[in-house]
Amino acid sequence: MKKNLYFDVKKCMACRTCELVCCVGHSLVKELSKAIKEKQIVLPKIKVSANSGKNFPITCRHCKDARCIDACIARALTFDNEKKEVIHDKEKCVGCWMCVMVCPYGAIRPDKQARIPVRCDHCIEIGEPQCAKSCPTKAIIFKEETGD
Amino acid sequence: MKHIYIIGNSAAAISAVESIRLHDQESQITIISEEEYPAYGRCLISYLLAGDIPESKLNLRPADFYQQNKVDLLLGKKVVELSVKKRRVTLDDGEKKEFDVALIATGARPDMPEIKGIGKQGVSGFRTLNETKELISIATFAKAACVLGGGLIGLKAAYALKKRGLNVLVIVKSKHVLSQVLDDLGAKMVGRHLEAKGIEILIDQDVSEIIGNGQVRAIKLLSGKAIEASIVIVGKGVKPNIQFLKESGINTDFGILTNEYLETNVQGIFAAGDVCQSFDLVRGAAFINALWPNAVEQGRIAGLNIVGKNLKYIGSLSLNAVEFFGLPIVSMGLKKAEPGCETLEASNGKAQIYKKFILKDNHLKGFIGIGNIKNSGIFLRMIREGVDISSVKNDLLSDSFSYAKVMDLFGKDGLYSNYQEQK
Repeated sequence: MKKNLYFDVKKCMACRTCELVCCVGHSLVKELSKAIKEKQIVLPKIKVSANSGKNFPITCRHCKDARCIDACIARALTFDNEKKEVIHDKEKCVGCWMCVMVCPYGAIRPDKQARIPVRCDHCIEIGEPQCAKSCPTKAIIFKEETGD
Repeated sequence: MKHIYIIGNSAAAISAVESIRLHDQESQITIISEEEYPAYGRCLISYLLAGDIPESKLNLRPADFYQQNKVDLLLGKKVVELSVKKRRVTLDDGEKKEFDVALIATGARPDMPEIKGIGKQGVSGFRTLNETKELISIATFAKAACVLGGGLIGLKAAYALKKRGLNVLVIVKSKHVLSQVLDDLGAKMVGRHLEAKGIEILIDQDVSEIIGNGQVRAIKLLSGKAIEASIVIVGKGVKPNIQFLKESGINTDFGILTNEYLETNVQGIFAAGDVCQSFDLVRGAAFINALWPNAVEQGRIAGLNIVGKNLKYIGSLSLNAVEFFGLPIVSMGLKKAEPGCETLEASNGKAQIYKKFILKDNHLKGFIGIGNIKNSGIFLRMIREGVDISSVKNDLLSDSFSYAKVMDLFGKDGLYSNYQEQK
């Protein structure tokens, strides 16, 4: 089953804990005090944005028919049929920004310094999305997909 | 069992194969390609030329792709004739093959101007892997290169050759580089950036002759001046590969004309990719937007229609993302305002940031982003889906713009559904 991130918008207070733990979780040392000293500062793959008094954490939703996969000229983006996730291969990526240009949610941003797209990988390295784990109001939920 | 014949072996062909095989394991599929390589990322050849990536990273699919998808792959062969009546193609070695359904995905080739000396060694349209390999071997010993034309292919080549340490001169007929991709202000910004990185740009000028004894030694400008160069890249646009269809009865204009199902006037013969003159949803007319994402999408739709899915293609549009020496650039749809258009723009020359939106009757028709390209996918969606954006017009240039501001415009799909109250 495909797991995805869901957001209880009523509970989100825009504290940005998700952004912070996302950066730490994707740093080399995985510890805040040391992560900020790393040469390549990691950018958050989730960003909270407000509209009409509500807060929306915006991040990649791992679309099944992902436009970013179609647009990728280097085949760095692929769909993992078992995990049902969009996978990004840093080694293959050339930083052309095609994926940024086509993401219908603006959920892929350019990391101009690292020349790679910033997009959610469900914390593949750690095993569970840190944003969902750390959200103080439980506004971010990682659960089985309920269907589009 | 059908025999599906795919002419061409790049973006559109590969995506067609994958879509066909999702629904049809039985039909026989043949792919024929003039080039002798399995499908590779054509857009990556400039990175290969630059030395940014090795050749091994060019592969679009794993080595066993054709085998896994039960595709007969014919490499290094060319279709010279297609008979609609006999449903048969003739190859350059005289062999004839019959098909039931065909997909023409032959792509395009560089449009080489008729300049004296254009056939010399070192002159390249910079389109194929073989041409790139040849350029790399020349570049190893070369000191200087000239690029004719300031379009994306020319500039990507210029960037790559500069990275290799050559002196690079770009010669542009018009007033700016990228005149098809950007507006004047954007083009000036990018031009200045390239010059700051050491690429010379000569505007209002053209080449009258390519000089050399077999191998290029110099180019001669219209002004009479000669400039030394061992490599000449010709970036003057591309022409669809439709020569073999001349007598076929398949309707062509600049490229192959198709209906909204990407089928030609002949039933069971489809076209996709750079050769396919389908509908341009911004221009509202048949047009070729020879770009990677368009080719992939068209290949998929043609593939699905080959297996009888009857899917309509909404149309292509001009669509570019590129980076030169750290400066990201995105452009889509209209670049210059037409009569009746409204323009919203903000620029900061020093910070190298430029954003421009072109609207018509409150519908987005074009976007240019330089330096800051965040959210461009949302703008693309606005153009593609043709939504009325009057309610969010004032947010477009804002730094706090995001999907949250516009999600209501798009209906309750996608990410929107992940925001509903959770149990």
